Amino acid sequence: MAVSAGFEGFEKRLELHFFGDDPLNNLIDNEMGLRLLDFESLQEVLDAVQCTVVSAVGNQYFDAYVLSESSLFVYPTKIIIKTCGTTQLLKSIRPLVDYAHDLNLTLCACRYTRGSFIFPKSQPFPHTSFKEEVFYLEENLPINLCYRKASVMPSKLASHSWHVFTASDAQATTRQLVSGDVNATFTLEICMTELDRVIARKFFRRPDDGKNGDTAGKEMTELTGIGGINPNPNSIICDFAFDPCGYSMNGVDGDRYSTIHVTPEDGFSYASFECVGSVYDDHDEVAQMLKRVVQVFKPATMSVSTTCTSHEVWTRVVHAIEPLGLKCRSCVMDEFPAAGSVVFQTFTATRRK
Amino acid sequence: MAEEGQVISCHTVESWNEQLQKGIAAKKLIVVDFTASWCPPCKLMSPILSELAKKLPAVIFLKVDVDELKSVAEEWAVEAMPTFVLTKEGKVLERIVGAKKDELQLAVEKHATTVENATTANA
Repeated sequence: MAVSAGFEGFEKRLELHFFGDDPLNNLIDNEMGLRLLDFESLQEVLDAVQCTVVSAVGNQYFDAYVLSESSLFVYPTKIIIKTCGTTQLLKSIRPLVDYAHDLNLTLCACRYTRGSFIFPKSQPFPHTSFKEEVFYLEENLPINLCYRKASVMPSKLASHSWHVFTASDAQATTRQLVSGDVNATFTLEICMTELDRVIARKFFRRPDDGKNGDTAGKEMTELTGIGGINPNPNSIICDFAFDPCGYSMNGVDGDRYSTIHVTPEDGFSYASFECVGSVYDDHDEVAQMLKRVVQVFKPATMSVSTTCTSHEVWTRVVHAIEPLGLKCRSCVMDEFPAAGSVVFQTFTATRRK
Repeated sequence: MAEEGQVISCHTVESWNEQLQKGIAAKKLIVVDFTASWCPPCKLMSPILSELAKKLPAVIFLKVDVDELKSVAEEWAVEAMPTFVLTKEGKVLERIVGAKKDELQLAVEKHATTVENATTANA
């Protein structure tokens, strides 16, 4: 057991893709797939991971849940779980695969990513090391996922590396070619540390504020400018403020999600921002959104991981961020079967007040 | 009355309009839960809504399935579920999107007390 370790903000992220009976033809549009998983089953999966649902919302495309230790997104053929603290995220794989099987859905791809833990010694099995995590994944993923790759992408900072494990079945590439749109989407995972102190204080609950987690969360969203990151007025935000500090939010905009989690304590302050987009999105809009994220948190160190089957997204990241006083210190790229290219970049502030 | 203290499900547009009119005439607070049978986030809120209904019999709780009553869902611009609309005398007081337990509880209790005062004053 670690002595006087703080709360671990760095998340573990798991993305699982499933397909229906016909491997080359995914579910037809109005089929709910994984969204038919009833709430009790989801709770059981989350119990294995040791987190609970704090709030949730669903639209025609997917369901989004704010958890006690991060977020869960359920699409018809895809599940994304992102948890922080000392949760045992990988333990969700077996029960999810079993429940999906009951719905005639088979796992066809898996992607596990995380940064470097601030308090690695506090992590429980199987998260005690990346080696241990990979071993666990190898043991618990079904054998039809035959193309596997594990990689630790380094940066110039010992404290910031990006760990990636992917596994996919033999039909993954063919399936991607058929549903052409998949090549166009990208996932952006941003990890920020050493947040500006004044900003971090805004994520502490005021004692006797007469509010509850939902209303305090709403206030934090407005006061910090998080509400303005996505300018679309029709997007929905599910936010929550933890006691005595901490904040989580899920953004729902059509079929796209975004999610922010903040651990504001001095000494181990951390904030993450994640979203999905399309290579066809307006370049300027993506850049503006990135700028807003940096302006909201003003971190001293930031890492950006872009996962995309096309190669152009990451260049936009540098152009958007560098003008804000963050210098790109490293840029590493690696290719993963089915997932595409993962580009990992780190930035540090050039001057701090 | 058998209906007090319970969440009333409206399965037809007629029953929906009937319940709405009843509430408007009685000047009661109406809490509408726009839900869907397949929506897990909605299931999260069912027990909470039932509890609130039992606790506040002077408030009308209505449940509308967006697939059953598509026209009503469209009329009230419901895009995500669950969506809770608090309305009184034809005016929308508050709109909560998402299964936000505490926020809903606070909002219902806030608007319910003003209704309570009105009914005791009339009694």
